[in-house]
Amino acid sequence: MFLSVSNLTKSYCTGTITHVLKGVDLKMERGQIGVILGPSGSGKSTLMNIIGGVDRADGGTVEVGGERITDLNDNQLVEYRRESVGFVFQFYSLVSNLTVAENIEVVSNISKNPLKTDEVLSAVGLSDKKNRFPRELSGGEQQHVSIARAIVKNPKLLLCDEPTGALDFQTSRSILKLLQEVNKKYGTTILMITHNSAIAGMAHAVFRLRSGEVAESAHNSEIIPAERIEW
Amino acid sequence: MVMALRKRVLRIIKENKGRYIGIVILILLGSFYFIAATGVANNLEKMVVGFAEEYRQEDLTFSTDKPIKDISALESETGTLIEAYRQYDVKLSNGELRLLSPSSKINIPAVLSGRGLENPGDILLDPYFSQTQGLDIGGQIELNGKTFNIVGTMAVPNYVYILKNLYDVLPTSGFGIGIVSGADIEAFPELSSEAVTVYGARFHARENINAQTTKLHGLLIEKGYSLSEWLDAKNNKRINMPYGNISSMKSMSFPVAAAFFLLSCLIVGVMIMRTVKSDGVVIGTLYAQGYRRRELTRHYMAVPVLLSAAGGLAGTLLALPCVRPVVDSMLVHYVLPDKGITFSPLNLTLAVLMPVAFIGLSSFLMMRRILKKTAVELMKGDEQKAKVNFIERALRLDRFKFNTKFRIREQVRSIPRLLFLVLGVSAASMILLFGFTFNYSMNVVMDKGALERYVYPLEYNFKEVRNLQDGGIPKGAEPYNTLRCYPEGRESVEFYLVGMESDSVGFKVNDIRGNALSRDQVNISSPLASRLRIKEGDTILSLVSKLDGKSYSLKIDGIVKAYGEQFVYMPLDEFNHLTGQPLGSYRTVLSSHEIDFDENLLAGVMDARDPEAYENVSMPTTLIVASVSALAVLIAVIIIFLVTSLMIDESRNTISLLKILGYRGKELAKLILNSSAPAVFIGFWLGLPFMLAFGNSLYGYVAEIINMLIPMMVNPLYVLISFVLIFAVYEVTKRLCGRKLAKISMSDALKAGAE
Repeated sequence: MFLSVSNLTKSYCTGTITHVLKGVDLKMERGQIGVILGPSGSGKSTLMNIIGGVDRADGGTVEVGGERITDLNDNQLVEYRRESVGFVFQFYSLVSNLTVAENIEVVSNISKNPLKTDEVLSAVGLSDKKNRFPRELSGGEQQHVSIARAIVKNPKLLLCDEPTGALDFQTSRSILKLLQEVNKKYGTTILMITHNSAIAGMAHAVFRLRSGEVAESAHNSEIIPAERIEW
Repeated sequence: MVMALRKRVLRIIKENKGRYIGIVILILLGSFYFIAATGVANNLEKMVVGFAEEYRQEDLTFSTDKPIKDISALESETGTLIEAYRQYDVKLSNGELRLLSPSSKINIPAVLSGRGLENPGDILLDPYFSQTQGLDIGGQIELNGKTFNIVGTMAVPNYVYILKNLYDVLPTSGFGIGIVSGADIEAFPELSSEAVTVYGARFHARENINAQTTKLHGLLIEKGYSLSEWLDAKNNKRINMPYGNISSMKSMSFPVAAAFFLLSCLIVGVMIMRTVKSDGVVIGTLYAQGYRRRELTRHYMAVPVLLSAAGGLAGTLLALPCVRPVVDSMLVHYVLPDKGITFSPLNLTLAVLMPVAFIGLSSFLMMRRILKKTAVELMKGDEQKAKVNFIERALRLDRFKFNTKFRIREQVRSIPRLLFLVLGVSAASMILLFGFTFNYSMNVVMDKGALERYVYPLEYNFKEVRNLQDGGIPKGAEPYNTLRCYPEGRESVEFYLVGMESDSVGFKVNDIRGNALSRDQVNISSPLASRLRIKEGDTILSLVSKLDGKSYSLKIDGIVKAYGEQFVYMPLDEFNHLTGQPLGSYRTVLSSHEIDFDENLLAGVMDARDPEAYENVSMPTTLIVASVSALAVLIAVIIIFLVTSLMIDESRNTISLLKILGYRGKELAKLILNSSAPAVFIGFWLGLPFMLAFGNSLYGYVAEIINMLIPMMVNPLYVLISFVLIFAVYEVTKRLCGRKLAKISMSDALKAGAE
């Protein structure tokens, strides 16, 4: 099993104690696309942050590619993030005063075996815009850059937090198509958070989160190509 | 302002305590410096110039071969006050006291303590003399068998710096002055042979003193008087010594304070603009809720106004008690009435209001642009989104490594921020370099200046011109003659025209390359040549004699390497011929050994055998350099800290994102904190030409005011030390800011959404 989350718990204390994750379990094979569905406050982002090594769990374990990341110290988590995980955010989180190419180099700069920037740019269809600044691009194009930045390190796991949440239908579809291509081309395992249940059609594994618990998990035998997804 | 918003002002300040404290210190330094420098300059002026005016300091002193007959006729003919006073030197077991008769028209004595002269046998003493001799008011002193009652201490305007002889450079140990009534002086039995009459003159019209001096000189010669010890106040060390301090303090006070205020304006303006920008959505929402622009302007203006008022007030209050010790230390060698320390209400008001006005205005202008926008525009949040400026857009950095690209972009992201850093570091470097350069220049003047020129270390100045035909000069000594001159139309450029024998060896006269120059030609000192823009082969036209106003022209044959000195050397015979003096005339004897001349014939002796003794009369440069360096380091720390912390705050989301992406703490520190290194480097090197320009203009000003040339000598070692010091400050500041960087959490980027 490539990704294995067992009995994961997390709570926050903001005056009162809020239990965000209450014993979450999920599993994914290498090279799969997984989708986590759930309403706001269900604990999707917290789960993703813990899997990404950005946040720490109170209890339970997370194993990625055989490495138990819940046991790692801060320095080891940094190593994990820089070598094994790629992030794609809802609002792209690009560095506004760096060009498209430079935004990708932000990651390749610290990776041991990065892909070539031009190759990644070509893969996301932005070769002709490498010297543009983020503000000079559309939302969809910015998300393409964000994906390029995430895959340039050739990560074992790509975590996408609402990658289409800020985009229109057509653009969203192009982003999903791109993610599917990345998955195929590089064999990258992708875990995606979304509100949009239609996206579940393109995933091998689907997890529905409700109030910090996995209410339902399913595995698709028939994967729909992203360009055929409708909502 | 609405109560709820008022609470927010203090919260804004609290959120960035370190930054705002830095700004307050910067403003504080500006106000402190302004009040301290103007306070010192004004109080020195009040004491020195005020004393000179109130007690009618002479413009001129001289002696004559016979008493001037009709002084009042001469006074009305020349528009002058002329007064004769008696001078009688009494030897004591451990010193010497010069008794002066009290004058009533000019050089009026001021009683410093005790009372004035009332009874026969009363004496007033200069305070240093009474102190060194252990004499108190109410006590007595015996002078040549006569007992005097010490009734007080006094100061006289023509002995502010107490030198025994007119041409002395250093005070004579144990020498002092006292004032007794004219009758008491006349009562000394041996008076007729030993007392002398000295004249002081002060012109009614306070302009064109040189022309009036020349006219008086001509008239006295015309009337058949032979003049000796003719010296104007400008060249009289007993009078002119404290004026240098006033000029330099005055010239430094306003520009330095203004520089502080402008730097503060720039950074406060930038910061306020950023605060307002980042609050764009809040402002838009408040507009939508019915807030007026002036209410919001007042709200955001409260921060800069509070900061500048606090800094201005604190700086002013801190400066007030510092003025007295500085004034006292500057006047420690001078005898002046203590008029008390006062402060100009205008300057006090300016020190507090100037930063408020400067900073308030710059902040207002910065925020007005944003506050002018409509509620809808602001609520869209466009102001918060970072824009790419034209420099960023124009930069093509493909060939650089990522880290280099990132650092360059980080710097050019905000031009005002970059400008502030570069200018701030330049200002700090300029101050630091100036302190070191000033110190080095003064050391060079001391080590390689006038004293180093003397091969024969003793210089005897005679009261009257003598002639070689009346008696020879001992072996190991040589004569020379001098005349004070200035180029026509430039009275501030005064220098000595010196006649020396062609086989003279008493002075070193070497050219720029260090080769000995012929004494049989006209040689000019290099600082004077550069001031007059003269080169070898040029002719100085219309050289005016200060004594009689006669005009000469001289062709320059050689340039003498010199540091700060202003002179023209020429052969003695040519000098005497040119100035219309008999062949063999001389005024001074330069000697390798002590010569037993009759003391009554001498106007002064200069002894260059112990150069260290002269260091006491030079300004306390070590103290100045230490305080200037400390100030520069403090400014550098504040500025680099402010900019770096601003940069960290503005890059908060990027830093947070980079942490998520796997950047280590050290990598982030290198990327973000090291990005300022080129700006600090450029700022430092810009500081060098700024310092040269500032120093040259300051030294030029001092040269014009007090005719003192200080060479601008930049020592590469001191430049290196300054460079290391500025970068050490940068390293320390980086460490301080490193903690701030470490505190930024990854959740910032996760919550922030769009960058």
